[in-house]
Amino acid sequence: MLTVGALSRGELDARLAGRGLYLQTGPFINAIRSTISHVSDGIALLYADYPLAASTEFADFHLHFPRSPLPRRLWRAQVRFDHDGVKPFAPLPEDQAWPMFEWVLNWCVSSRAHSYLMIHAAVVEKNGFAAILPAPPGSGKSTLCAALVHRGWRLLSDELTLVRLSDGLLQPLPRPVSLKNASIDVIRNYVDGAVFSRPIHETLKGTVAHLKAPADSVARAHETARPAWIVFPQYEAGAATSLTPLAPARAFMELAGNAFNYSLLGADGFEALAGLIGSSASYQFRYSSLDEAIATFNRLAPPAP
Amino acid sequence: MPGVSLRWRLLPGQRLRHHGWHGECVVFNDLTGDTHLLGAGVLPLLLAIAGGPIDFDELAEARPLLDSLAALGLIEAAAC
Repeated sequence: MLTVGALSRGELDARLAGRGLYLQTGPFINAIRSTISHVSDGIALLYADYPLAASTEFADFHLHFPRSPLPRRLWRAQVRFDHDGVKPFAPLPEDQAWPMFEWVLNWCVSSRAHSYLMIHAAVVEKNGFAAILPAPPGSGKSTLCAALVHRGWRLLSDELTLVRLSDGLLQPLPRPVSLKNASIDVIRNYVDGAVFSRPIHETLKGTVAHLKAPADSVARAHETARPAWIVFPQYEAGAATSLTPLAPARAFMELAGNAFNYSLLGADGFEALAGLIGSSASYQFRYSSLDEAIATFNRLAPPAP
Repeated sequence: MPGVSLRWRLLPGQRLRHHGWHGECVVFNDLTGDTHLLGAGVLPLLLAIAGGPIDFDELAEARPLLDSLAALGLIEAAAC
């Protein structure tokens, strides 16, 4: 299997500038074109372990990140994005091309992949059982996810929990973990040898950097996981670690509010979410110490067979 | 209206898909696509009405609750 890392930098740039780099992320094939060095730098650094598909294969998403044309490029270079010729986002400064690339990949999935119930949540797995971490920005979800996947848990996703409508299993989509502001240094100090993209300042989300996904998680992207726990995390400086059971019906409503396509799926989404709730134990989780948080996750009791 | 008997009935088109845990339940509204969180005791009432229209008088004590279910578009008062 050919991976991004097997390409020389020249070959990678040539594919991106030519017919496209056919990059496989989880179940999706992304045909990517760009001549912006920030995009090729990011792919070379964070996607080296990912498989490539042949450029003759079907691609789920066709992504083009062109540079702004001359003469504008000379005084205010921008990155744009078009998807099958459609431009859903305003241009950004070219320096923000890498975070835009990651946001766009999320957008492609969350707006198109309706054979899944898609929840805005991190999801990690250990011993075959998955913990789903839905939470709004600022809750510490990604920080906790980044710590867990470097302490024995497998990364399924930092942003998109994909519940297969056909059987309720969780489809991995391991990609770099998006960290913001103070969380970047928290994880840099917590994870030995962590590989980050260059922090980009003054984005819409503040300072953003992406943490490379563990190679083992990428290699196991085809292995689905069984949902076992739904944990709503909330980071609070100085707070004691606490894990509090959450009534399933309340968890249902919270998860529905965090799903991208729950309303669109109608009754199918309702049944998928009910299956998820029925097979999982739900909790509210408050933490300030990553070590204690991980110890708490490691003590989660597996569901009854 | 004198001489007209009113009954509570499930709104046509509702299938009353539901799942419950520990007394609370969620119900899918087939007509609006909304999901409703219902407290303990509400689902049995809905299921009774789904079993066949029930006279207003029989459920007089539950009138505020029934009015709220009607406002959600799950049931309606119909002349029989």
